[in-house]
Amino acid sequence: MAKLRLEITKGEEIRYISHLDYASAMERAIIRAKLPVAYSEGFNPHMKISFASALAVGVTSQAEYIDIECKEEIDVNQAVEHLKASLPVGIRIKGAAYMQGNVPALMAIVNLAAYEITVPLLAEDIGIIEDSIRWFNGAEAVLYTRESPKGKKEIEIKQYMAKPITLTALEKAVRLILEIRITPTGSIKPGEVLGALVAMFDLPVDIDNLLIHRTGLYISNANRQVSPVEL
Amino acid sequence: MITLDPAMLNRVVKPARYTGNEWNSIKKDHDTVSVTVALSLPDVYEVGMSNLGLKILYQILNNREDTAAERVYAPWVDMEAEMRERNIPLYTLESLKPVREFDIVGFSLQYEMSYSNVLNMLDLAGIPLFTAERDEHMPIIIGGGPCTFNAEPVADFFDCLVLGEGEEVMEDIIAAVSSWKKTGKVNGRSGILKSLAQIGGVYVPSLYDVTYHENGMVAEVLPNCPEAPLVVTKRVVKDLNKVEYATRPIVPFLDIVHDRIMLELFRGCTRGCRFCQAGVLYRPVRERRPELLLKMAKEMVDSTGYNEISLTSLSSADYSCLPDLVDSLMGELKEQGVSVSLPSLRIDSFSIDLAQKVQQVRKSGLTFAPEAGSQRMRDVINKGVTQKNLEDAVSAAFQAGWSTVKLYFMMGLPTETDEDVLGIADLAYKVLDLYKEIKGRRGAKVTVSVSCFVPKPHTPFQWFGQDLANEFERKQQLLKARLRDRSITFNWHDARTSFLEGAFARGDRRLGQVLLKAWQNGARFDGWSEYFKYDVWMDAFKTCEIDPYFYATRHRDFDEVMPWDHLSSGASKQFLQREYEQAVTEELTCDCRREHCSACGVCPGLGVEVLDWGSRA
Repeated sequence: MAKLRLEITKGEEIRYISHLDYASAMERAIIRAKLPVAYSEGFNPHMKISFASALAVGVTSQAEYIDIECKEEIDVNQAVEHLKASLPVGIRIKGAAYMQGNVPALMAIVNLAAYEITVPLLAEDIGIIEDSIRWFNGAEAVLYTRESPKGKKEIEIKQYMAKPITLTALEKAVRLILEIRITPTGSIKPGEVLGALVAMFDLPVDIDNLLIHRTGLYISNANRQVSPVEL
Repeated sequence: MITLDPAMLNRVVKPARYTGNEWNSIKKDHDTVSVTVALSLPDVYEVGMSNLGLKILYQILNNREDTAAERVYAPWVDMEAEMRERNIPLYTLESLKPVREFDIVGFSLQYEMSYSNVLNMLDLAGIPLFTAERDEHMPIIIGGGPCTFNAEPVADFFDCLVLGEGEEVMEDIIAAVSSWKKTGKVNGRSGILKSLAQIGGVYVPSLYDVTYHENGMVAEVLPNCPEAPLVVTKRVVKDLNKVEYATRPIVPFLDIVHDRIMLELFRGCTRGCRFCQAGVLYRPVRERRPELLLKMAKEMVDSTGYNEISLTSLSSADYSCLPDLVDSLMGELKEQGVSVSLPSLRIDSFSIDLAQKVQQVRKSGLTFAPEAGSQRMRDVINKGVTQKNLEDAVSAAFQAGWSTVKLYFMMGLPTETDEDVLGIADLAYKVLDLYKEIKGRRGAKVTVSVSCFVPKPHTPFQWFGQDLANEFERKQQLLKARLRDRSITFNWHDARTSFLEGAFARGDRRLGQVLLKAWQNGARFDGWSEYFKYDVWMDAFKTCEIDPYFYATRHRDFDEVMPWDHLSSGASKQFLQREYEQAVTEELTCDCRREHCSACGVCPGLGVEVLDWGSRA
C-alpha cells in the first residue's frame, strides 16, 4: 500500500459543482488514468480516496488535497502524467508526493483555510469598507445565525477567525482575505462571514454576486504553517 | 457568448446543470464548421443527459469536421425565472451561445407531457413558436424520438419531424442544410423544407394539409406540393454493427437519472405486447455482435471512468448471447471494479440466474412487469407470461436470497373487468405466500405499481377508447381496499395526467392551439407531478372549444382515418387490426424472431431483417 497525496485545483470552469460532484469527477479520472488504486472490501467496494476539506458549490480553489491509496507505488511523475491526461477542465495537479509511513487522514490534520472573497461594491468610498472591516476585526464576539433546513443555530464567528480580515480595493469591487480555523467542533463558511459583515457591520457590497476562492489549506500550529504536501 | 451572473448561479438549485465543461464534451470553433446543431431534450438536465439517442447523435455529428453539435436542456423553473428577469436567452452548454444562432435545433420527443417545455424553450430562445413565423435566419426546428410517429399536436411548431432511427438520417439532413447554406440559402425557408421533405423518414408537416369531416374526424391528410411524399416511412438502421455508437459519452458532474455506461445490446422487440408502442416502432430486432459489445464496453470504461455498465435494450434478457456476454464482460472488467446491471428482467428463472450472477453485491429489489393481474388479461395483451412463469421466477428469486419484489401493472386495458383488476391483488398475495412457503416465515416486501393505460398510435390498441379518469380512480380504490397487507406497498399513477397524455398521444393538429394556450397560462414540466396543472389544461381545451374526450376516451372504428395514417412505422394497419381482433378473442401471437413471421410488414416493406446471432450459431 502506498498513499499518494496530490495538490489539485477547482477552477472557474467547475465553480458550481458540489463537493460530491468534485469527488466523483476525481474518482472517474483515476479510473480513466488506470492508477492502481485500492478499493475497500465488502459487498459495495468503494475507491480508497479522501479529501482534506469539502468545498461548497460556487467556490473555486487553488489548493485542494486528496489522498489516493494505491495497491502499488508507481513512479510519481508517471502517475501524475496519466492523471493529467484524464482530468476534466478545471482540475489541475500542482503537487504530488507519496506519504511515508502511517500518516493521519487529511481531514484530521488540516486546521486552517485561507480565502479570497471578491464582491462588487455598492459604495464609491473605499473608506466605508475599511471602517466596516476594522469594526468587525475589533469586535470581541460576533453572533451569526446559521439557517438550514434543519433549523436555526447561533454561532460565534470570531473564535474561528485566525487573523484579522484584510482587503484590497479593485475596480468597483473589493477583495477580502480571510483565514478561518477548522476545528473538531466546527468552523464557519466564508460566505457566512460576509453575510455577517453585510448584516451587522454595514458592509456595502452586492453579496448576491460574491465569488469565493480558496487560496490555501494548512496545518498550522504555534511554530509553523505548512500545506499538506509540505509535511 | 452569454455571460452568466454569479448572483444567478449562486441562487438556483444545482447550478452545474447550466455551466457545462463536462468530460468528453466537445467545443468547436463555429467559424470552422458549416453547420451548427443544438441537441435538446425538453426536460431538465438530469433527464436529458440520460437519453441514449442524443448521446449517439452528439458523437456522430461531432465526428463530422463540418458540424458542431452542442447541448441544451430545459432550465428548471428557478433558472427560467432568473433568465427571464435578466433577459438571458436560452444558450447551449458548450459555447454558451444563444440557441437562436444555431442552424438546427433538434428536440428529442420522448413523451407527450414534455410538449409544453418545447414551446417554453423556443420562447426562451427568442425563436418564433410557429414554423410559419420563422424566416431563413432562424434555426430549423427538428423533432425526433417516438412521439414523432404522431406529432400532429406539435406539427405547427416544428419545421420537420424525423421518423425512426437518427444515425443515418441526421447525416443526410446535415448534408442538405450545409449545401443549402452554401448556395446562399436558395429559395429561403421553403427551399430547405422542400429539400428536407425528400429525405426518407423526414416529415415536413407544413407541406401537408389536413381536412376534417363535420363530425370532427380527420378526412384526409394530403401533401400540398410535389416534394412531399404521400406517406413518410421511418428510417431504420439495417445493421447496428456497422454504425457509430456513443463510445465517448459525456460524463456529467452531477448525478443524472442513468449515471452509468449504457451498452445497447440490440434494438427492437418482437414479443408483440399489444399495448406497446416501442415494440412496433423499433421493429425488427437487430442485435449487435457479442464481440463488438465487449469491445465497446472496454472502450467506454476507458473513455468515461464509469464503474457500472447497464445492458440496455427494450428487453435485454432476450439478447440471444446474454449469458456468454455477461460472463465475458464480468471476467474482463472485474479487475477495474466495474459491475454489470440488467435494467429489466424477463419473468422466468433464467433471468433470476442472470440477476444473481451480475448482482453479486447487495440484494436490492427485483423488478418484474407482469403488466396485468389475470391470465385472461395477459393473453389479451399478448404478454406471453403464465402464472407458472411468474411463480417460478419469484420462487427462484426468494431461494436466491431476494425478499423485495416490485411488480408493474397497467389498468384500463381493453376488455378489462373488475375481476381482472383484482387479479393484481391476488398476484401480490400469491407472492407473499410463496415467500412464506419457501422461507417458512413472513418477511417479503412487495411493491405494486399500477399505471393507467394510455392507448398509443401505431399499436393494436390505437382504436381503443381510454378509460375515463373517474373509472381509473374507481379501480384504484377497488385495488387499494384489497391491498391492505402492510407487506404490500401500492403505488398508482395520477389518472388525470394519463388522460391528458391520452388526448395528446392520439391528437391531431387542432391540439396545437390547446398546447399554446396552456403554455401561455403557465403549463410546463407537466411530467413532474408538482408542476402539473390540470385545470390550466382543461381551461385551454374549453377556450379553444376542443373536446379532450374526443381524443382520449372515444372508441374509433377500424375504417376511421387516423391523424397519423400518413406516418408509417412499417407495420401495416391490417396487422394492427388483426392483433386487436385477436386480443379481444384472447388469442396469442408468437415472437417472430424465434417462431414464424406474424406478417407485420416491416421486414419486406423496409428491406430489413431480424438479426439474432444466437439462432445462427
